[in-house]
This record gives sequence, C-alpha cells and structure tokens, in this order.
Amino acid sequence: MTELNYIILLPIVAGIILFAFPRGTRILKGILALMTGLVALVFAVRLFGWENGIHTADLVPAGMAAGSLFNRMMQGISGFCTFNIDPLSRFITLCTTVFTVLITVYSLACMKGEREIRHFYPYVLLTLGLTTGAVLTDNLLFFITFWGILGITLYKLIPGHDEASSAAAKKTLIMIGASDGIMLLGIGIIWRIYGTLSMSALDIPTTYPVLVAAFLTLVTGSFTKAGAFPFHTWIPDYTQKAPAASSALLPASLDKLLGIYFLARLCVDMFILEGWLVFVLLLIGVMTIIFAVMMALIQHEYKKLLGYHAVSQVGYMVVGLALGTPLGIAGGLFHMINNAIYKSGLFLVAGNVEKATGKNDLDHLGGLSKAMPITFVAALIFALSISGVPPLNGFASKWLIYQGIIDFGTQPGAANQIWYIWLGLAVLGSALTLASFIKFVAGIFLGRKSKALEKVREVSPLMWGPGILLALVCLVFGIFAASWVVPRIIMPLYGSFGYTGIWQSTTVSMLILASIVLGVLIYWLAGVRRFRTDEIFIGGETTRDQTDFPVTGFYKTIQDFRFFSVIYKQAEKKWFDIYDVTAKIVFSLGNLLSKAHTGVLTAYAIWIFAGLVLFMLILFQFIIL
Amino acid sequence: MLKDLFYFLVYPGLLFAGVAGGFLSWFDRKITAMVQFRKGPPLLQPYYDFLKLLLVKETILPANGSRGMFLLAPVLAVFGATVACVLILLPMLGFHTGFSGDLIVIFYLLAIPSLMYILGAVSSGNPLAAVGASREIKLILSYELTFLLVVAGVILKSGMSIRMTDLLMTQETGGAVIGSVSGILLFIPAVFCIQAKLGLIPFDMAEAETEINHGCFIEYSGICYALIKLSKYILLLTLPAFLAALFMNGLHWDGIHILWSVLKILGVVLLLTLIRNTNPRLKIHQAMKFFFLYMNLLVIIAYILIALGI
Repeated sequence: MTELNYIILLPIVAGIILFAFPRGTRILKGILALMTGLVALVFAVRLFGWENGIHTADLVPAGMAAGSLFNRMMQGISGFCTFNIDPLSRFITLCTTVFTVLITVYSLACMKGEREIRHFYPYVLLTLGLTTGAVLTDNLLFFITFWGILGITLYKLIPGHDEASSAAAKKTLIMIGASDGIMLLGIGIIWRIYGTLSMSALDIPTTYPVLVAAFLTLVTGSFTKAGAFPFHTWIPDYTQKAPAASSALLPASLDKLLGIYFLARLCVDMFILEGWLVFVLLLIGVMTIIFAVMMALIQHEYKKLLGYHAVSQVGYMVVGLALGTPLGIAGGLFHMINNAIYKSGLFLVAGNVEKATGKNDLDHLGGLSKAMPITFVAALIFALSISGVPPLNGFASKWLIYQGIIDFGTQPGAANQIWYIWLGLAVLGSALTLASFIKFVAGIFLGRKSKALEKVREVSPLMWGPGILLALVCLVFGIFAASWVVPRIIMPLYGSFGYTGIWQSTTVSMLILASIVLGVLIYWLAGVRRFRTDEIFIGGETTRDQTDFPVTGFYKTIQDFRFFSVIYKQAEKKWFDIYDVTAKIVFSLGNLLSKAHTGVLTAYAIWIFAGLVLFMLILFQFIIL
Repeated sequence: MLKDLFYFLVYPGLLFAGVAGGFLSWFDRKITAMVQFRKGPPLLQPYYDFLKLLLVKETILPANGSRGMFLLAPVLAVFGATVACVLILLPMLGFHTGFSGDLIVIFYLLAIPSLMYILGAVSSGNPLAAVGASREIKLILSYELTFLLVVAGVILKSGMSIRMTDLLMTQETGGAVIGSVSGILLFIPAVFCIQAKLGLIPFDMAEAETEINHGCFIEYSGICYALIKLSKYILLLTLPAFLAALFMNGLHWDGIHILWSVLKILGVVLLLTLIRNTNPRLKIHQAMKFFFLYMNLLVIIAYILIALGI
C-alpha cells in the first residue's frame, strides 16, 4: 500500500506543511513542490506493476493492542478504504502526476514577479493528492470527499485581486459546489437502494425513474467538473481571469481527466444506459461542441477563447463515451488525453505571450513569430492539433470518434439512425475550431508587428520547455497513433477493437517530412537567402500604421447574420448562462418576498395569524385522515 | 517505404497529378475561351506558366511578415493535395498494396491546401491577403458541413463502410450512386462543394482579382506561387476523381474503361467550367447562405429519399 500513500497522502501532507512556510520562500516552496510531484510520479509509474482489482488499505498501525477502541475504529475505516486499481485509473493517475510536474516547472518561472497567488504551490500539491485520491478510490463517499475539496483548491488558485476575478472565482465555487451537492443526492439514492458505495460493485439499470435520477445527478457533477453544456459557464470566466498556470493545471488538464474519468466510470461501469439516455448524452455532446466553439469564434481575449475551447472539446469526449461501443469509448478517452496535452500546452503558450507582452487582447498583438520562435512553433502544433489536422494527435482521436459514430449507426435505434447528424455537427465543430485557432495563431504570431511590440523577446527556457515537451508528445501521439499509441495505450483501458477505417499515420508523416525536405531543397537551390524582400502591395496605396485587417474582424459576417446576431446578443446578456439565469430567478423571487416586509406591525400580525390558520388546517386534515 | 515514396512523388502522385492537372487546367481554359468566343491557349500553356514561375520569375518576400510560415505554406499545400490524390487514385488504379486511407482521412487531407493558403496569406502581413484569408475560412465553414453530409450520404447508400475499396466494390455490384434520385440530389451539392474548394467563380471571393488583387495570393511570386499553382492543378484532378469515386463507380484503368474514366473526369471539369463561366462572383455571406440553407436542404431531401429507399 506504500505506493498509494506516496501518491495520495504525500502530496496532501506536503501541501499542508508548505502552508506553514513564510512569505518570501516562493522558490523553495516551488522546488519542494516539484520534488513531491516527482516522488508521486515515480510511485505512479510503479503502480503499473500492481495487479488489477480492488485493494483495501490496512490502516491499523502495527503493535496496537487488539480490541482497543482505536483499533476497532481503524479497522472499521479500513473497510471503506478500498482502491480500484485498473488500467484506466492507473493511466489517469500517471497523467495527473505528469501534468502537475510539468506545470510546477512552468510556474517556477512564470509566477516570478507576478501578482502572486498566496499559497500557489500548497494548493497545487493538494490538487494533485486529491485528484489521484478521487481517481483511485473505489468508495463513492471517499470519492465525493476528494472531489468536493478539489472545488476549493480550484477556487483558491485564482487570485481575487479585482472585482471581475473575484466574481469569476465566486462563480466557479458556487457552480462546482452546487454540482457537488447534487451529486450527494445521487450517491444517497444509490446507498438507499443498493446498500453499497463501492463503484466496482454497481451495475445499475436505468429503467426506473429513481435510478435515472441518480444517474443524472452524478452526470451533472461530471459535466460541471469537465465543463459540458449547460454547466460549462464557469470555465471561460475562470480562464480569462486566472493565471495561465492555474488554467493549464485545472480546467485544461486535471479537471478534464477527472471529470471524463468519472463519466467513463458512470457510462461504462456503474450504469447500463438506455437508448434515450444515449440520445440525450449525444445531444449534449454536440451542443457542447457547437455552442462553445461559436462563442470562441467571437472572442477578443485569447485566454477566454481558449476557455471556450476547453469546453467545446469536452463535447467530443461526451459523444465518444455516450456511444458505448469500444471504438467510441476508446475515441473519447484518447481525445481526453490528447485534449489535456494540447490544451494545457495552449494555456502555457498563452502564459508565455502574456508574460512577454503584458497584453491579453488579440487586437494589440501580431507578428510575434520571429521574436518568440519556440513558443510560435509549439503554438502552431497545438493549434493544428486541436483543429484536427492530420497527422497530429487531435486528428487521430477525432478519427476514432467519427468511426465510432459511423459504426454506431449500423445498429438499430433512434439515436443510431441519425448518426449523420452527430457526425456532421462534430465535423462542423472541428471546422469552427480551425477557424477560431486561425484567429488565435494569426492574431498573436503572424501578420504585421506593431511598434509597441518591438522589444518583445522569447521567454526563459523554464517557460517554453514544458510547452515544447507537450508539443513533442502531440507529434509522437499523432505520428504513431494508429500503429502504436491506440493499440498499446488506449486499447488496454477498455478492451481492444478493430478499426473500420484506415489511417496510416506513420507513412503520411514520413511523406510530410519528405515534402518539407523537397521544399527546402527547391528553395535552397533557388537561393532563398538572395530572395529580395519588399514592402507589401496593397493596390498602390501607401502602407500606414492603421493599414490593417485585424483577425478579430474575421468572423464579423457570421456575427452579423440575422439568426446568429440575435443569439449572440442574448449570449452576451448571459441568457444562456445557467449561473446567471439562476441568479436572476433567485433575486427576482427575493424581491417578491421582500415586498411582504412592509414594517407595519399589523401586517406582520396578519401574516402570522394566516400562517397559524393554514397550519391548523393541515394538522386537522391529518387528524381526520 | 520506397514504394510509398514512388506512389507519392511519381505515379499517381506529384508528377502524374501535376501533369494531368495541368492538362485539365488547359481544358478548363480552352472551354472558357470557347464560351467567350476566343481562341484559347495552346496545350502546353499551363506547363509554361508553371515553369516560368518556377525557373525564371523572381521571388519576392514580404518585408514585414512571418517568412518561415510564408514559405512553408505552399509546400504543405502541395503535400495535402498530393497525398489526398494518391489516396483517392491508388485503389481506383488497381494498386492494393501499401498505402491507403479511408474517407474521413481523405476528407481531412483535402482541407489542408485551403488551410495552408490561409496561413500563408495571414503570414504575409498584407491586409488584402487577410481579407482573402477571412473569406476563405468562412467559405470552408460554409461548405464543410455540406461536403461531409454528402460523403456521409454516400456512406449510407453504400453499406456503411468508410473504406474506399468497399465503396467501389458496392458500386461495382449495386450500380453507381448517381444512378438514383437521391444520388443525383447528393451529386448537385457535391459539385458546388468542389467548386468552392477549388476557389472557382462563383466562389472565388477569397482571391477576387478585381476587388482584392488575388486576395490570399497577393504577396506570392516566383517559386512560391509556382507551388501554389501546382497545388491547384493537382486539386483540379483530385476533386473530380473523388467525385467519380463517390458517385460514378470510380475509374478503371484497363481497355475501353480508360476512355470512360477520362470522360468522367473531363465531364466533371466541364461542369465546373460551365458553372464558373455563367455565374457572377457571390459575396461571402451569400455563399454561406447558399450552402447553409439551400445545399443542406438538398442534402436533407436526399437523406429522406434514402430512408424511403429511392
């Protein structure tokens, strides 16, 4: 059991100890956090040597008198401390620790000189321990405990230094907290009916309304954590205001891993889904894809744009898992890991750009590709990957999901018969993602550089290092996707399957390499160094400072469409935000009730009397019946 | 490995597709000339154009842009067009060894040239190129859904397989997809989609010569522009061949079938040429409306007919 101690308890304990460190020891705390993360990583790797199955933690200390009160208590607790070690939980644990280590390295350089989040590293370590705890535990009560505290660390990882960021933090806490409360209800239902809280022992049919309710409450929690429609609205606000390292850690990677892990457990292990629930999940999946990406299209702030994409990609995972076929589940899980890689990479890139320029608006950026070449290459790879351009990893997982959808369409059922709608919307979402990432890449790195950005230089290696590492993983996972990554890493998670299509990622990558070599050769033979450079030609006009067509204006046509413009206006008024809508309802109810508070004594007396009469009437009814 | 490289670079890849695409480009220009009562260019004109750009003309780079991306984009555009061409032609030309890909892969690879035109355009730093790029990406958004639904409709009609060989096999035994009412209804949007993919009138708003000086390609010259021209030639072969595979029982490369195959490709190109010569350029929002409303409506009707078995 020592591995589990090192993976779960060590980060939590170390995190708590780090709280006690005084201010001004930021570097020391960072290095300690990094070391803790590395230890956890080593033991997460060692977890792969374990046998599959349920492991019970033995909490009774050696040498304690048998039969004593404490002994019996610990024995009782041990019965609940069960851990489910299977390929999926091992894999997620490994990914969690890897991402935490990378982002800790990044934040060593990134947090320097910034308006510091107090106790950043302690909260990162707590997040690590709690996430691995939630992933490994088999007991729903332990799970909800870990999961719930994660909401608080998420809340504390955003600095509340002005009104907008405090509001974003509050929104996050309320939405996550509310979903945790709803989940408790589902766990209660399961306990009442099945008498067990062990996830692995459950196999619940969704034929009775109360069991469907249990499923829906738990799915709500998973959707809020991962960020699926309509519970996603905290993510764009969070990423807009939080530092890049926090966004890369939680909404981009760990929350996705955990949320989708739980969704996989729900859809595949704990519940048997009826046809109509599959339909609902698919609908939510494609709605998440399309709505979020449409919002991303019109953003001006690049961190908020990335936040909407952190939502939109979840749609693909939900679609994949909802399909329920081995192909679909593998696609969903592969997309989850790919998304964690490129999305946290993108947030690191965003952090680099913010650090180097101090601007977070696409309108004021552009032309940084020469000043920040390494960041640019990483950003380009991530952007092409998330848009699903072959042969990168984002394409590989989308390819699996699309195959899954078509394969799903061969079976009877209402949701199966309209497979082309799911496929069409998923592909449209991918095209829209491409569109908004052209905006991202072109707006920051390509085009003309403004005078204000002349002094911008590449950030320190500690900051671009993690990004370029993640970009390499993107390449490797893409190039060897069909031949190595899927069979070796993804298939063990939920069983093997055959592809219905053909994707020779390695050959195509080799051909890309060949074409680039050929292209370089042609340019070299033609003497690329001697190519003349000249000012741009704009139809004979002279180029002035304001001669520009900024990327933020690219999609104005779409925004101005009669139908879309209405939707966008309502969306800007937050009418599609479940948080704001709920707030509006609650406040209007409050206003209604406050009208009764007139301050006149007789009015209060009448209310009390009326209440008493009502009360008596109800009681009377009971007595008669 | 070497065989794949041969397929990619020589036959049916870069060399073959470049030459055949150049011929199709001549065919297109000749028909255009005939429509306009002109004489038209000689047969070798497209090759002259290409070689002149490649060997003679000076290459000028934008002073204030991202040169690496600007130079890389045409190369990758040629790559995308060629690899899609190889994946489409190989199973039809009777090669069943080595290199292959399914319809989803081909669909995604076919988007690479347009994407690279856009990246090249925005890295030039020219505002007119940026206008062109923004129109190109909006055009992609508008036709991509229709094109996918067309491909999905063909998949639906030919036994739910996404492999090219299965698609050709089912058409071999069960008749060409275009031989039914729903097939024709799917073919019409498909033609418009490839018209838009090729950037031909009425969907040439991204490179409108008279308005934004060739838009996306305004800054390209010399070798870079030669590569872009090459990618356009290859696409002019690839996309009609893809339509032939999807709808017209593919191409066959033996005996009298060679004639039919050539006629299929020429027929599709003729259709494209006639559309481009009889229509004015649309504005981008008109194009979006055209695909989103009308073409998708046609596809939906086709799906209903498929469900009814017509």
